[in-house]
Amino acid sequence: MSETVKLVIDGKPCTCEKGDYLLEVAQRNGIRIPRMCYHEGLSGLGACRVCIVEVVEAGRSRVVTSCIYPVLSEIEVFTQNEKIKELRGMVLTLLARLAPNAEGVAKMAAKTGIELPRLAVKEGGDTCILCGRCVSACEALGSGAIAKVNRGVTKEIATPYGEPSSECIGCGSCAFVCPTDSIASERTEESFTIWGREFEMQRCSVCGMPFTTQAAFAFLQAAQAEWEPGAEQQPPLCEECGKKAVARQIANAGKYL
Amino acid sequence: MSETRTLLVCCGTGCLANHASEVADALEAAVAAAGVDAVVGVEASDAATVKRTGCNGFCENGPIVKVHPDDISYYKVRPKHAEKIVASLGGEPVKALLYRNDEKQLVTRQLDNPFYASQRKIALRNIGEIDPLVIEDYQERGGYVVLERIIREAVPPETVIQELIDSGLRGRGGAGFPTGIKWKTAAGYARGGGADADGGQLPAFVCCNGDEGDPGAFMDRSILEGDPHGVIEGLAICAYAVGAEQGFLYIRDEYGLALKNVSAALASAEERGFIGDDILGTGRKLHLEIVRGGGAFVCGESTALMQSIEGQLGEPRAKYIRSAQRGLWDYPTVLNNVETLVNVPYILACGGAEYAKLGTARSSGTKVFSLVGKVNRTGLIEVPMGATLRHLIFDIGGGIKNDRAFKAVQTGGPSGGCIPEQYLDLEVDFDGLTEKGAMMGSGGMIVMDDHDCMVEVARYYVGFLAEESCGKCTPCREGLRHMQAILTDITEGRGQPGDIELLERLGHTLQQASLCELGKTAPNPVLSTIKYFRDEYEAHITAGVCPAGVCPELTDFYIDAEACTSCNACKKACPTGAIEGDKERAYVIDMALCISCGSCRAACRFDSVCTRGKARGKAAAGAGTSAEGKVAS
Repeated sequence: MSETVKLVIDGKPCTCEKGDYLLEVAQRNGIRIPRMCYHEGLSGLGACRVCIVEVVEAGRSRVVTSCIYPVLSEIEVFTQNEKIKELRGMVLTLLARLAPNAEGVAKMAAKTGIELPRLAVKEGGDTCILCGRCVSACEALGSGAIAKVNRGVTKEIATPYGEPSSECIGCGSCAFVCPTDSIASERTEESFTIWGREFEMQRCSVCGMPFTTQAAFAFLQAAQAEWEPGAEQQPPLCEECGKKAVARQIANAGKYL
Repeated sequence: MSETRTLLVCCGTGCLANHASEVADALEAAVAAAGVDAVVGVEASDAATVKRTGCNGFCENGPIVKVHPDDISYYKVRPKHAEKIVASLGGEPVKALLYRNDEKQLVTRQLDNPFYASQRKIALRNIGEIDPLVIEDYQERGGYVVLERIIREAVPPETVIQELIDSGLRGRGGAGFPTGIKWKTAAGYARGGGADADGGQLPAFVCCNGDEGDPGAFMDRSILEGDPHGVIEGLAICAYAVGAEQGFLYIRDEYGLALKNVSAALASAEERGFIGDDILGTGRKLHLEIVRGGGAFVCGESTALMQSIEGQLGEPRAKYIRSAQRGLWDYPTVLNNVETLVNVPYILACGGAEYAKLGTARSSGTKVFSLVGKVNRTGLIEVPMGATLRHLIFDIGGGIKNDRAFKAVQTGGPSGGCIPEQYLDLEVDFDGLTEKGAMMGSGGMIVMDDHDCMVEVARYYVGFLAEESCGKCTPCREGLRHMQAILTDITEGRGQPGDIELLERLGHTLQQASLCELGKTAPNPVLSTIKYFRDEYEAHITAGVCPAGVCPELTDFYIDAEACTSCNACKKACPTGAIEGDKERAYVIDMALCISCGSCRAACRFDSVCTRGKARGKAAAGAGTSAEGKVAS
């Protein structure tokens, strides 16, 4: 039995289940906290610090990261008071200097009104904001083709030793979740190229459309075999044909009810 | 004299580097060679034994050899002195190897040495007195008595924890969290008292944090090397108190001797049944395992350390839920620092209330500091909490080298702060240091004199942290990069108006918005030096002058002919051959060859090498007349 907790966000009384993450609670109540590394499908990274808010609990105030902050007790939350505006503005400014070519970041940073020309753009900085979403997605899928390497100011996202990774299946999830479109990939009818590797495309067994890489499809089949040993292997189906197949199954099942 | 003598040879890392091992070999050979003649009426083997101990703390005067029971301490012992020492046993000590105190008198006993006189050794109680590889040595000094009593008498864990709470012991790794409370919380969650537990006993873990990484700090290394059983007993008591059957000692891989001694100690403790599958025949279990740290400073942070033990990337996580509730593999976990753990058996032996009498009201007990920098006596010291900085630096440390002026003391490691002269009478404890913008940290204490540039000091630490930050969160990684760039600009003469305010603004962003304590405290070296030495920053930026005469791009060196004694020390020290002069001709620096490294000034004993603002290049352009005068000697 879960417990209900009361909280106030920007003056609005809300409730949530104990342990819910603050960013999501706010969202459900119509308050959108700016964010960058948060992704609803990946567990909280807490890396970009854009979603910081001020939490006052029993008179004690502190700045927390709303995407990973579990609401455990009665609190009052400020998502855009002066203090948070300044801190979030500074964080966005820092991100804009790190990734000068990331348009979304530049837009958000411009809105903060903070202009600090003294802070130099990072040498070689392009669009990556080092949030780690891509690494998290790769891990979540059960692969480990890319990782955060080095530490401190030299941190970067890379394959092992910067060489094409044998772990990579060309699924493209990393590029899909990237908030700044920073991961270069190239897709043609026949092939998909990412992280220095070229993959052959897998065509749908029904309509013939290329829909994923052969390596990614083989990976999924292997994973399925692990979850459901002995289950019948599914033929390669694109999203559209897959839906149709499922719909047919449901329709057929209903026939005998 | 027919008493058996023990020759304790300090074989800590510092002394080993000074050939302590050869000294011990030579002493053993000398004892064997001297035979019965050395000590009348006793067989040679019984007359004297040589023991290799851990670090005595006074490393710059090592290797140290102590003679027991006569209580004689010898310093800077070389293998060639071995015969003399053995021959003197039972008679007059070897005068040439004794320490001279500030009044130039010879001191024989360790406690008469001003470096040791006011120390109170609790965490370091066994170090230098026992051979860390011999478990009996530890037991002879009361080791494992507490653990054995607790286990045999089945003392309730709550009683053990209450004793710790009563002692007021706070974590010695830096944060100063009350140890007993941490144990109590973890024990509560492990027993099923947790909010989201179903009432059953959960597995719990205990860890020892031996990932000491502060530059210039070596207290944990010394303890692990010199008293590994003390740490193991502390960890075993902790495991008993919280109900853990598995524990880890996370030790950085660079600490070779510590790893060796702890491994050996674990094996002998298991052999005696103090840890293992059936502790002292009671059926209790405790497995302790060493995990080697891969050399990342940030892995000393508790959550990054646990990530590392789990085999993950050493990045911290948010601590909205504490490790005592969900730590290793999401189970209740206690992580204590080496120095904290080694205090535990002592506290339980003497009683928490007794221990709490030591130190200050909110910081009980003693603290080990590594006192280094521009003091006459450097080394590892242990004093009761509340000792003043003045006492540490001027009484124990013997004052500033070459009688220069004290400028600041940097405490708490790279993310600590610099405390200026006006607070020399500050009583050192957790809260006192934090109030002044510094921190206790693990106990590093670097003393600086008027030849240290505070902007350069800040730049150095920020550079260290920029490299050692894990790089996960934006404010810490990016903020430090910008702070490093701005500080480098200032020290190289490219500072701009507004830089100080920008550094403060970045600093506040890091303090508030960073993920972990590394980021939150990383601006301390900058903010504390701006707070106390703002004029020095301003001099760099507006006048283009480094008042301490350190930053090469802003500093010219010259020799004051009147003060010069033609001793030739500066000429010898100069790496580029820029100094000309001899007894007949005045010493001068050829500015075309000089790289402003400051070696000449460091070598000069007569204050005749002086500095002034740079007379050429971009930096001097805005310097004007203020740069011309003698700004520091």
